[in-house]
Amino acid sequence: MNKVITINLGGNAYQLEEGGYDALRAYLETATARLQGNPDRDEILSDIEGAIAEKFRTRLASHKTVVETKEVVAVLAEMGPIEAEPGEATHAGAAPAGISGGTTGQEAKGEEQSAGTGRTPKRLYRIQEGAMIAGVCNGIAAYVNIDPTLVRLAFVLLTLLWGSGLVVYVVMAIVVPEARSPEEKAAASGFPATAQEYIRRAKAGYYEAMKGFPDRKARREWRRRFKRDMRAHADQWRYNWHCYWTEHAPVYPGMGFMLPVLSILHGAAMVFWICALISLLATGALFGLILPAKVPVWIAALLLLIAYGILVGPLKVARRLCYRSLGRPRWTWSFVFLLDAIVWLAVVATLLWLAVHFFPDMRAAVQSIPALAHQAADDIRTWWNSR
Amino acid sequence: MSVNEKFSAIRKGLLEFLVLQIIAAEKVYAADILKQLSTTEFATQEGTLYPLLSRLRREGLLDYEWKESEAGPPRKYYELTAKGKEQLRETLEYWSQINGTVKKLGQK
Repeated sequence: MNKVITINLGGNAYQLEEGGYDALRAYLETATARLQGNPDRDEILSDIEGAIAEKFRTRLASHKTVVETKEVVAVLAEMGPIEAEPGEATHAGAAPAGISGGTTGQEAKGEEQSAGTGRTPKRLYRIQEGAMIAGVCNGIAAYVNIDPTLVRLAFVLLTLLWGSGLVVYVVMAIVVPEARSPEEKAAASGFPATAQEYIRRAKAGYYEAMKGFPDRKARREWRRRFKRDMRAHADQWRYNWHCYWTEHAPVYPGMGFMLPVLSILHGAAMVFWICALISLLATGALFGLILPAKVPVWIAALLLLIAYGILVGPLKVARRLCYRSLGRPRWTWSFVFLLDAIVWLAVVATLLWLAVHFFPDMRAAVQSIPALAHQAADDIRTWWNSR
Repeated sequence: MSVNEKFSAIRKGLLEFLVLQIIAAEKVYAADILKQLSTTEFATQEGTLYPLLSRLRREGLLDYEWKESEAGPPRKYYELTAKGKEQLRETLEYWSQINGTVKKLGQK
């Protein structure tokens, strides 16, 4: 019986025996060291990973889902050692050739963690790929790791409100350098370049390939598969991240008792958010607070959503940490989880009920919902008939 | 030292032009290139080919595009740029010159 480790190669999951995993990791580490100083290092590595994945695939079948150690070693022998190209600075003292499968367990674990946390130092750059104007928003988004659309919205909003967004943008477009080399691109987001680059290139390839397909059916099939692959990749990423912070975040005993408090806060935040949204949509004002004339309702709603996300994010994390602090036997988690969910639901229900009963505005808004829905349905029907 | 060993450095240098020549014939992806080379004296491995391809691309001799494959994720298909074609033509010319020299010298 052998332990199996799941890895992500070029966006697909593969299960390797532990020995095979060690061998593969040693191979890729050696490759990375040898390609030190090569400007295309990340691209070559992702090609290599893709080629290894392809070789693994031919060795798997519906009844055989795990790549055995000896198969990994055979594949790596087929790949051959990575040869640095002449004329390119090779890393002095690069590790000796090819497969040195026998890293000892403990050592390997330590290295792995440092590799997992090994982020490139962050710097603010402008990023031209997918940029609208000069890539300022794109760069900021990568730097703080959020969706660039949100940053763009913020800039637009700043411009609409006080005109300052435009000034800031122009200044940044001049002052902030553009990320050109893969290293700079990696530094722009702080992530090791491979994953980012993989996604970017996969997207580029996607559009390129779309052009090449003759009929709609093939195109649709390709789109479906591409989306599935991207999702798998994103899931793996999220999973890795999740594993990372659950391993490293501090946990204090007794945090579990905070759970009900956090749940109540979380519930309250949600109720407040729902109330705010209803009041905004029904009356066009936020609890009687009239919006500046230039801000459309939908932007206000979006901002509400963002504010809610920002507020609730830490709460969610804290709640999850609390689960962890309850200790090892995992079956207790599901029990606590159920209890917690009940507390949360009860809080939400009670507060909503109170809100509807004690705020006339809320009551009016809730009562007007059916009428609004009818109105919307009628509008849609007349629009449809008028076509 | 066998002939095979003596020529290892020369083979290594020639590999680049053989790769260009294979790509010149049709759009291929890396495994095709390896397969075509595998039956020759120039048989090589991914570990050598990928760094080579990336350098050739950086020198502007070839380019690639992504194409979907029947099984698995899309693949990079390589093709020569105008510069690559020109370089290949020059190389072939030079090669036939060398060939001629090798044959001609020493004959009386």
